[in-house]
Amino acid sequence: MSRLVKKSPSLCTDLPLDNTVICNKLHLLRQLLKSCFGPTGRLKQVHNNIGGHVVTTSTSSVLLPAISSSQSFINLIKTSILNHVSRFSDCGLFAAILCLSLIEQAKQSGLSGSVAIGVNKHLLGLCTSYLQREDCGCKVKLDFCSSHNLITLASSIISSKPACVLTESEVLHISKLSVQAFLLTVPCNSSGEVSLGQIVSISVEGHPVLNSAVFPGLLVDTPDDLCLDKSENQHSNPLRLVVFSASLAGDLSELGDGKIDVHPGVDTDSQILDQLLELVKQVVKDEVEVFVCQKVIHPVVQQYLKRHGVIVIERLGITLMEPLTQLTGAQPVATLNTTIPAKAYGKVKDLSILQFGSKTMLHLQPPGESSICTMILCHRNETMLSELKVACQKTEHVLRLTLREPSALLGGGCTETHLAAYVRHKSMKEVTETVSALGCSRTEHLRGVDGFCHSLESVAAALEHDGGDSVMDLTHAHHWTRPADVMKEQEDSSGFCGCGLMESSPNQRWTYLNTNYQEFSPAPLSGDAAVQPRVLDSFTAKLNALQVAVETANLALDVRYLIQDMN
Amino acid sequence: MLASTVINHRQHVGLQKLSALAGITHSSLGPNTKYKFIQDETSGESALVCSCFRVLENLELTCGAGQLVYETVQAHQKTYHTGSGCLLFLAGAWSRAALECLQRGVPVARIISAMSEGMDVCLDVCRECSVSTEGLGVAQSESRTATSQGLGPHLSKTPTVEASRASDTTLTASGRRKIKLSRHFYETKSENVPQPPLPKLPDIAHISAGLSHGCVGAMTLVVEASRIQSRSNPQDVSCSTFDVTKVVTCVLPGLPEEHACVMQGCIVLVSHEQASVVHHLKEQHLKVALINGDLSDTYRHLGFKRLKGVQCVSDRSHFSSSTKEEEWMEKTVALLLNLEVNLIVVSGLASEKVIQRCCTHHILVVEKTKASVVKALAQATGAVPVTYATQLSTHCVGAGVKVAIWRDLSSHERKPSTTVNISTVESSGLVTVILASCVHGKLQALEDQFWACAYRLHHTLKDKVLLPGAGVTEMLCVHRLHKQAAQKHHTVQQTRAGTAHNPYRGLVLHLMADGFIDYISTVMVNTGTVSKVRARTAVSQQLQDCAQSQGIAATFSQLFLADEQEDGAAAAAAAAAQVYDNVSVKQEAWRKALDLVLLVLQTDAEVITGINPKSDGPQEDVMLL
Repeated sequence: MSRLVKKSPSLCTDLPLDNTVICNKLHLLRQLLKSCFGPTGRLKQVHNNIGGHVVTTSTSSVLLPAISSSQSFINLIKTSILNHVSRFSDCGLFAAILCLSLIEQAKQSGLSGSVAIGVNKHLLGLCTSYLQREDCGCKVKLDFCSSHNLITLASSIISSKPACVLTESEVLHISKLSVQAFLLTVPCNSSGEVSLGQIVSISVEGHPVLNSAVFPGLLVDTPDDLCLDKSENQHSNPLRLVVFSASLAGDLSELGDGKIDVHPGVDTDSQILDQLLELVKQVVKDEVEVFVCQKVIHPVVQQYLKRHGVIVIERLGITLMEPLTQLTGAQPVATLNTTIPAKAYGKVKDLSILQFGSKTMLHLQPPGESSICTMILCHRNETMLSELKVACQKTEHVLRLTLREPSALLGGGCTETHLAAYVRHKSMKEVTETVSALGCSRTEHLRGVDGFCHSLESVAAALEHDGGDSVMDLTHAHHWTRPADVMKEQEDSSGFCGCGLMESSPNQRWTYLNTNYQEFSPAPLSGDAAVQPRVLDSFTAKLNALQVAVETANLALDVRYLIQDMN
Repeated sequence: MLASTVINHRQHVGLQKLSALAGITHSSLGPNTKYKFIQDETSGESALVCSCFRVLENLELTCGAGQLVYETVQAHQKTYHTGSGCLLFLAGAWSRAALECLQRGVPVARIISAMSEGMDVCLDVCRECSVSTEGLGVAQSESRTATSQGLGPHLSKTPTVEASRASDTTLTASGRRKIKLSRHFYETKSENVPQPPLPKLPDIAHISAGLSHGCVGAMTLVVEASRIQSRSNPQDVSCSTFDVTKVVTCVLPGLPEEHACVMQGCIVLVSHEQASVVHHLKEQHLKVALINGDLSDTYRHLGFKRLKGVQCVSDRSHFSSSTKEEEWMEKTVALLLNLEVNLIVVSGLASEKVIQRCCTHHILVVEKTKASVVKALAQATGAVPVTYATQLSTHCVGAGVKVAIWRDLSSHERKPSTTVNISTVESSGLVTVILASCVHGKLQALEDQFWACAYRLHHTLKDKVLLPGAGVTEMLCVHRLHKQAAQKHHTVQQTRAGTAHNPYRGLVLHLMADGFIDYISTVMVNTGTVSKVRARTAVSQQLQDCAQSQGIAATFSQLFLADEQEDGAAAAAAAAAQVYDNVSVKQEAWRKALDLVLLVLQTDAEVITGINPKSDGPQEDVMLL
């Protein structure tokens, strides 16, 4: 029996960003994400309220999916950041913090939504065109002749994940491995279309980080009763291999739901098994020596294969199927009903057993040039290991992005402060044109520019978590931090700027971030090849993050009504 | 729905929770562990626990830090089976150190870098003061020759008697100690001296006495088990390892504890009916089949998906007398009889019907066998484990197994009541340890203690090195940390902007050392002779003494002894035997403890998912997003 329930009316909020509850929530989200930012960021424990598994992280791609809110603004921002992260891997927190502070600044400045949006859009244009210029003062050309900058780029990403709990030498080791693995995935002979290979990562818990390693080829879990004496005799010619993506468990799992009528005398299980054995007989006749199945293989089939000297690998899993087919050239067999065509067979050059800690793995070596490699990541405990795995995946992605756009941006907050100084200077110079184009007053324009630059600077300042001061020099507009505990007399020897390109000198002039200063044109550093930046950010990821942040903030500022269905 | 707790920086809630949780381990450190009751208020159930790991297992930890602690301890326990108490205690002690730092305004990054450096220092100390097991205990010449040659059964009691009645031999023991202690700390220097080609056998009796950590009874069983293993493996005496994977425990509730013993082979409990089969089969060389999985007609291998919604449709009514199960049984038994199999070892379950049917054909079915046992039997008999009984063929069947009734316990218990020993003609290395207790609740603790001892010996023989125990290593760490703290940081490494010099290094290292002092004095208190205050005084006295003199190691080694001798003869017994610790276990426990502290220290908020603000009500320190 159905019951009629009176529908409650929808709730409409006018000018939602003027609502204090909503603003407080956005502020809280900003605090939460800001505190995660950078190499000294704080971690968050993510768990459910009934004592489930605890994830300790500071990575946006792990943290943001855990955040769900009844507040649509938060969900809007979350979704667009996650979308950015899924495409570019890096700079998720940067985008989120920038976006939230742009919203906050626009509200504080008291500008009308449309003016704030207009100014933000204009300034974003200034930033992107500056970043793409050849003479951009915060951009570094990546030189593929040396791995130095690539390693710097990798180590900047890895060291920005404090939940990995790595020492400096460990960061360096992992960065080198990441670059090595990345280079292995780039094929050597580039005739025609180049397709990149893949890095398969395997995590081993309970071993020191420095034991992590990269191997060309593929490592798979070994069946316990494997003996390799037969294959050792056949070094000369590659081994023939077959890959099944269909289940060989002997069940009818692919039939789906529904009723099946069976005659009582019929034994479906043994009939399927007979069919499987027929199939396997052909494989054995075709002199296949390695038999791989993505899913389960019936024990009787396994027994048959092993008796004929075939090496059986079952339950390979979907993630390894793609790299395996790339490595061996095999085509996965998806059906049990036809004979297997000869071209479906693949090849492996050699097999060997690799012992790594508690894990015994089978090393499949490629028959020729191959761009598949396996990275074994070790760490002392699960929490740190899972964060390390995420960091390495991001690094791989960012390194790949450099192939399309071989540049990087100065890290450590220097790009942000530099960009802020540039934007301030540039927009002041062109103020008349801009004001007439945007149709706003000079004061409104000034306030909008201030808000935008403050937001950029506040992202740089968010890198400091221990009460230190964030300052900017007034020549090149790089970002510097001064630890709270450094004595006055040591101030001059505080070393290097955020990206490590500049060394402090006594006659430098400074300004605290988020204070007013006389605008100036930030001078690019003289190209001294001997000094290399120590922290680099991905150019592609950061550029996109900047756009995502500004556009999301503009969208949020543009919302006039919030309508909630209360049913 | 999300909520987050933002933690006040100076009073880090996570660290406080960690420290509070660690409080439960205080009494489980040291040789005299005490039992604890854990009671569930709602269900009224209670558990009797003895080790730190079991306490955590029985608590319902819902907070983030608690979960993290449990996961860490569980991971440690899974690999090492010992040292969880040390891990948790130090995690607590160092979280108090970190809290103290925060209260004094030390930035988090500084704490992390200094504590990591302190850990490196401590691990260096471990490396330097570790003692090779080769020829350890040489000074006791008689006992050494007795054990290294005395693989015969008549000498088996020598080592344990010595360990348990150490008080009788206080004189000789203290004499021995002097010699040995001076040796320990010259050992590292003399490492470059070319070793004689013949590797010296580690003196298992001496080592295990030092590793028993108060569980003398359990260690006696371990030594016996290792002796049986090495005896059954005479060609391979040179590499003396203790293969824990081939050790099985069999728990017999209701019998007094004196019944604990060690048997070669695998002991299983079987029913009356099966016992009669064993009677029939005894003193024969049997053929064996090994089944991975269940022995039943409905069992399918892992990953097999059963069809749902299968309907039987038949055109005429089916008057088949036999069911599918019956058919399968006929077929299987016929196959087994054909292959002349007398023993089936099943890793999963076997249905009652199958067991009974096999009994009538004089086939013994043993179910719920550990995977390692199946593997060992496969190695020793040449049998190939299969998943389905129908897969069996002549080449899968192994030969050379013996079964014998070991003891009939029918008077004590009702259900499976006869213990049967399955052994092989060719040695399998399988050893069963029988544990018994009249108090049912104690059995788990006894089993845990046995495994802790077994793994301690196992790790020792694998590492081939030991650490001086009874707090000596920790004392050396304290000493070294103090020294480091006093030293100026010479190698100024300019890294990122401004991370060069750490003005708080000395403070952090001192606080870390205090954690160790706390550990040592807690162990001393638990040893039962001194009060906490006196223990602390003794420790600091020793530290002062050694700061002035050169012979650090020698002074430290005397710490417990000097103290305990004052307190009377009772303590002398414990002190008589040299105490050792495992290197790998201790290092790993320390490192895990610090990792735990560093993770919690860097955490400033919990993100809790799944909170419903309406039903859960407003909570004080929770903010909703």
